[in-house]
Amino acid sequence: MKGKDTALALLIPLLALAAWFMVSAMGLVPDYLLPHPRTVFHSGMRYIFGPPEQEPFTGRFLNDFCASLARVSLGFSLATVLGIPLGILSGRLPVVNRLASSAINGLRAVPGICWLPLAMIWFGIGMKTTVFLVATAAFFPIYQNALTGARLVAPLYYQAGAMLGVSRIRGIFAILLPMAMPNIIAGLRLGMGISWAYLVLGELTGVPNGLGAVIMDARMSGRIDIILVGILLIALIGRICDRLLVAVMRACFKSARRQI
Amino acid sequence: MRPEPEQGGARGGGTAAMLEIVGLSHFFLSTAGAEPVLHDLTLTMRQGELVCLIGRSGCGKSTLLKIIAGFLAPSQGHCLLEGKPIVKPGPDRCVVFQEDALFPWLTVRENIAFGLNDRRLTRQQRHREVDRFLDLVGLQGYGDYLPRALSGGMKQRVALARVLILSPLILLMDEPFGALDAQTRDEMQELLLNLARERRQTILFVTHDVQEAVTIADRVLFLDRNCGRICEELQIELDRPRDRSSAQFQLYRSRLHQWLRQ
Repeated sequence: MKGKDTALALLIPLLALAAWFMVSAMGLVPDYLLPHPRTVFHSGMRYIFGPPEQEPFTGRFLNDFCASLARVSLGFSLATVLGIPLGILSGRLPVVNRLASSAINGLRAVPGICWLPLAMIWFGIGMKTTVFLVATAAFFPIYQNALTGARLVAPLYYQAGAMLGVSRIRGIFAILLPMAMPNIIAGLRLGMGISWAYLVLGELTGVPNGLGAVIMDARMSGRIDIILVGILLIALIGRICDRLLVAVMRACFKSARRQI
Repeated sequence: MRPEPEQGGARGGGTAAMLEIVGLSHFFLSTAGAEPVLHDLTLTMRQGELVCLIGRSGCGKSTLLKIIAGFLAPSQGHCLLEGKPIVKPGPDRCVVFQEDALFPWLTVRENIAFGLNDRRLTRQQRHREVDRFLDLVGLQGYGDYLPRALSGGMKQRVALARVLILSPLILLMDEPFGALDAQTRDEMQELLLNLARERRQTILFVTHDVQEAVTIADRVLFLDRNCGRICEELQIELDRPRDRSSAQFQLYRSRLHQWLRQ
């Protein structure tokens, strides 16, 4: 069963790869628009494992990856630290919800990209702008899902907790958070996905390193193979981060392990 | 922990009132104004008594139970448990709900041990205590299951065990077997009766099932929707185990049916 699932999951990527091979082999699309998969693979290997600074883009990966990961981690952590408590509070306390919801929903309607010019003026180019964009974008799904999770906990469970001797404060950790855990994790996963998207946006503005910066540099120098390498790497790393996030939550929390 | 009932025996002092409710009224506030649910209700329960509360839906049975549990503050009047006023929920008045209210991320064993967390027990003591109650409700071997893997009847056994382990002064049951099939319900009633007798447990049992009331109760109370208080009361004087086909049993049954049809 497990093997069958994996095969199904890989079916579409493999078909796409096959199509790409065919298109390149038959010469349907010129090389400068879509290079042959082999070329992209070799460029990718050189980008990741090649000796640094031998030629442009070789051996840059580790440096770029670390820079991007630091930005995503920082932005995502900020969004989590603000989003979960605020979401839980809004979900449980009508006063907080009324206070926060109009402002937050108003801001949510602003497309993330609109923040870019403002962030560049406020924070300049680089780390701070990217982290700000990532945090802003990841905040909303994390907040919204924590809110929904907290709101959906039936009063019955608080009553059960209260009669079993759980105080209101302890109930937050003993009942509310575990009950809301599936929603909280859904929010975190959405937030993580968006984080990588906005990372690239933040890095397109001319920072010297990062996976988004590589894509932009490659466009400037007409290296479409490197653009594709960057895109594929971001897809792969995004997927790994998602799996990792779920694994960490499951390792840390019983309620995550047993409910998702 | 409180002394075990079978050891001490005189937990509430024999025939002294365990629960005393005097002049209790409750209103729900709605757009149309205050809607009375309970009006000047009086109720006394002795230690070790199993009292069934019946009434038609919407008569305030559940409201009364919530007030005794401390989930709801009454508009007027007071409830005394062993002479002390009830102000908030606590482990001395435990509820078995109709719906499944087990914590879904905890195993059967962890659910049962949940209320023991703030009692000073060693790991071993707690483990032994939980084992004992798993046995008591007939769930040996199911300790490591999650609630979602259990049938409705088994879930209610866990719900029963997790409150009995706290030795509550009074056990409040809100149509706990209402959602079970007939066969399972009979089994659960038998289990409850055995536990209640062994532990001399005081129980207030809400139901709308007349047969259930006659089967288990020492005394049946009828809560009327119109006057908002207990207006009929019947002592069930049948030997246990009770024979449901006996003429006596049928007599009690039709009497209760009459109340509900009024």
